[in-house]
Amino acid sequence: MIWNNVRLVFLREVRDQLRDRRTMFTIVVLPLLLYPLLGMLFVQISQFMREHPSAILVIGSDALPDKPALTSGSAFADEFIAHRDAGRVHAELRTLSAWGSSDLEIRTRAEQAVQSGEFDAVVLFPADFARRFKEFRGHLPASSADQRQEAASKDLPQPEIFVNTASDKSRIAAERIERILGLWRDAIVSDNLRQRDVPLAATQPFKLVNTDVAKERTRRAAAWSKILPFVVLIWALTGAFYPAIDLCAGEKERGTLETLLCSPAHRSEIVWGKLSTVMVFSMATSLFNLICMALTSMFILERIVHAGPSSAPVAIGSPPLAAMGWLVLALVPIAALFSALALSIAAFARSSKEGQYYLMPLLLVTLPLMLLPLLPSADLNLGMSLIPVTGVMLLLRALIEEQFSEALRYAIPVIGVTAGCCLLAIRWAIDQFSDESVLFRENERWGVGLWMRQIVRDRRDTPTIAEALLCGMLILLIRFFASFTMSVPDGWPGFFRSTAVGLIVFVAAPALLMAVILTRRPAKTLLLQRPRWGSVVAAISLAVALHPAGVALAEAIRWLYPIGPDMERQLHAVEVLMGQAPNVWILLAVLAFTPAVCEELAFRGFILSGLRHSGHRWGAIVASSVFFGATHGILQQSLSAFALGLLLGYLAVQTGSLFPGIAFHAVYNSLALALAWNSDPSRQGSGFSWLFSGSSAGAGYRWPVVIAGLAASAALLLWFRGQPFESTEEESLLQAVERGERLADAHEL
Amino acid sequence: MIQVRCVRKSYADLRRGNFVALDGVSFDAGPGEIYGLLGPNGAGKTTMLRILSTVLRPTSGQASVSGFDVVTQPTQVRRHIGFVSANTAVYDRMTAWEMVEYFGRLHGLCGDPLRERMEDLFTRLQMNEIRDLVGAKMSTGMKQKVSIARALVHDPPVLIFDEATAGLDVLVARALLKIVSELRDHGKCIIFSTHIMREAERLCNRIAVIHRGHLLAEGTLGQLTERFGDSDLEEIFFQLISEYDSNPPVSCEVSR
Repeated sequence: MIWNNVRLVFLREVRDQLRDRRTMFTIVVLPLLLYPLLGMLFVQISQFMREHPSAILVIGSDALPDKPALTSGSAFADEFIAHRDAGRVHAELRTLSAWGSSDLEIRTRAEQAVQSGEFDAVVLFPADFARRFKEFRGHLPASSADQRQEAASKDLPQPEIFVNTASDKSRIAAERIERILGLWRDAIVSDNLRQRDVPLAATQPFKLVNTDVAKERTRRAAAWSKILPFVVLIWALTGAFYPAIDLCAGEKERGTLETLLCSPAHRSEIVWGKLSTVMVFSMATSLFNLICMALTSMFILERIVHAGPSSAPVAIGSPPLAAMGWLVLALVPIAALFSALALSIAAFARSSKEGQYYLMPLLLVTLPLMLLPLLPSADLNLGMSLIPVTGVMLLLRALIEEQFSEALRYAIPVIGVTAGCCLLAIRWAIDQFSDESVLFRENERWGVGLWMRQIVRDRRDTPTIAEALLCGMLILLIRFFASFTMSVPDGWPGFFRSTAVGLIVFVAAPALLMAVILTRRPAKTLLLQRPRWGSVVAAISLAVALHPAGVALAEAIRWLYPIGPDMERQLHAVEVLMGQAPNVWILLAVLAFTPAVCEELAFRGFILSGLRHSGHRWGAIVASSVFFGATHGILQQSLSAFALGLLLGYLAVQTGSLFPGIAFHAVYNSLALALAWNSDPSRQGSGFSWLFSGSSAGAGYRWPVVIAGLAASAALLLWFRGQPFESTEEESLLQAVERGERLADAHEL
Repeated sequence: MIQVRCVRKSYADLRRGNFVALDGVSFDAGPGEIYGLLGPNGAGKTTMLRILSTVLRPTSGQASVSGFDVVTQPTQVRRHIGFVSANTAVYDRMTAWEMVEYFGRLHGLCGDPLRERMEDLFTRLQMNEIRDLVGAKMSTGMKQKVSIARALVHDPPVLIFDEATAGLDVLVARALLKIVSELRDHGKCIIFSTHIMREAERLCNRIAVIHRGHLLAEGTLGQLTERFGDSDLEEIFFQLISEYDSNPPVSCEVSR
């Protein structure tokens, strides 16, 4: 790759975008106007909502007791109006007889008064309110404690509030009248107590005092940690999408893309140049929005907090500086990911218009990932950290909230997943730029019938990339939904059925069916070729040699990301079920041999064969391993399975046959069972205990064994590397281009 | 300079299955020669030239430019060609000078040599007036001139013109043809595709008639006249096309 070409493409594209009025408007002008305007609007609306005086109708003013008097003149008594409601309650008093003749009429008219908006809320005091109130008070000194309790529970005088909860104004009015009546009630209580010479403290034996241990800075950080990442991410996506559309689909439409493709710039140089441009604009949009938001919060919202009422909407102040720093840092990978995604999608689109259509699906996919961390229960854990975007947002939140040890622990999976996704998206973008069917895609009349016919008519020897991806997703989906319908096995037969049948029906069968229907040569697709016996022996040896290191890796993963108690219980239940196996051979058949055959057929057979059409051998191996890892339900196991998948994929490619992989997989699983078997105290002393460290359950291998195993594995892998292997057409082409370009460059020099 | 051997290009088509755009096309073109590809719309001319410019890959067969293979050495091929087509537009938000300079730099030129080369080109192509005009404000003729300057900036030995006069008025088209013949006189190898008989007659040293992905005939105007007994290229063209349409060949052999 010539970086000067990347720089040239980048500089041109940036200049081009800067000359585009629409881009500049979105990046600079919009945020400059948007946040101050939004801030103003928000405050205006909330002030209006809060300061708007509530019209409250009091029906039955004649039924009110004299002491303490709720009303004074034609309004509520000032002493019962809370400080914040002062001047915001307009009361109208009506007697019951003036309002209606019957109870039904009074209630109906009260409801209508609220529904029509004539009054925001109505409070109705029944006709006998004052009398019952008086009677109740009269009981107090004379009656026994039991009588008083009885009277209190069944015959309390009850005023009624009519509110329209569909209207904000009415809700606020109801809140206000509730506060007024609350204060009035307190006054009645203290009056009652005073009459009986009971100190006021009798009703309030203690007072609650909250001590907030969060510092002012942390409080602000916690509030902003929920808002800022969301704002930054949304703008990073928007800022990436529009330039990407202009740089790819727009150029296709304007005919300048072919001009650039005819220049000596390599496809990857063009993509990197364009990607850097999109990334710069994505980050710039996001940063500019962030700055404008911070400025608005500093200059406008804070002033409003001081000047405005005590219940002003924003009491969180301006975002802390450290938070902004972390955001900027996190923006780099996120912008890279969004830019690469947007670029690939934009490269696929024929025109800007078509490109715009893809924004919505992209938003629909990323929005839940952005909203997930906003849920109150969303915490940074292994599962969350493995979800793209969500992991970054949660990590960011932990950093803003200064939980550094927590952040550090999950930094590796978050960075790993984000970097992986970035690289994948960039690779996809480069492939799109090299794919002539994408670059010169023309409108065709599409029909389901035509399409189905094409799939069968144009079958290839091995599956296409799309078919391989479909197979992977299908297996994941089937297994996911099957897990809901299948009951938890309660004995060995049930466990046998759910495991063996699950693997055969949900993993092997889709791959086999798709191979038969969608490819011309199912045997070649599933790598059912006779292997060299040496490679089978080497694969078995590799499984034995590598198992200690595999166990150590699994232990390291479980130490770093402990399994939750629920999962532990489930795992233990499985162990108990395994212990019920009639004999060890059946156990090996179900848990070692069946998964080896079924999973290899699907992941190294159909899926890997299809993915290898990308021309990138290792890319295909990694992608097939992601699917392989994802089918293992427990996350900690998925990580180990992913690593194992890489090795199995390599074996499949190097040997061109599925059988060495099956042998490796079966032996590896058998060793895991043997280890579990050995860790059972009742079965120790098998003669192999010198291999294992410790004697407690879940013991692993001794360290010298792990190291010796790794050395042997390295030697065996070198042997596999030396084996001749068959490349796909696409891989050969890429190699030929690489060789040809090298030769041509040498010739030129 | 240019060698094309049995090039075949097919596309997957939803309706037609495998659609063959080029079927075993072979030809050679040398320096100081304008090789004309004459054919109706949809004959496969653009596909052939896109293969030569490495934008498309042939399904089978071989093609090379200046000794570099179009499939395995595409970057070197692109260094040795200048490609002007109706599909290679100019940037709307870039001036003529910036655009030519950008492509000059992508070809590895810089500093004084690039500036001198550009000054020379802008003078030769009479483009000094539009130097600071952005693409969006240019007329079709101006845009075509910028495209030519962009294709010539690195002084390539091979030039490919794909329907380069399409949409141009008579005056501009005439000026363009003059530029092309001058380039030939400077020893460039030029492939010139067109569906206009007059252009082919006036300009091309050798003409190949291409139809439905097949190269039907090839030779100098004199050779074609002699072979088909007619001095009018248009007549020869119609004769070849109607012969092909009434009796399409079973094999993909090229008739010479």
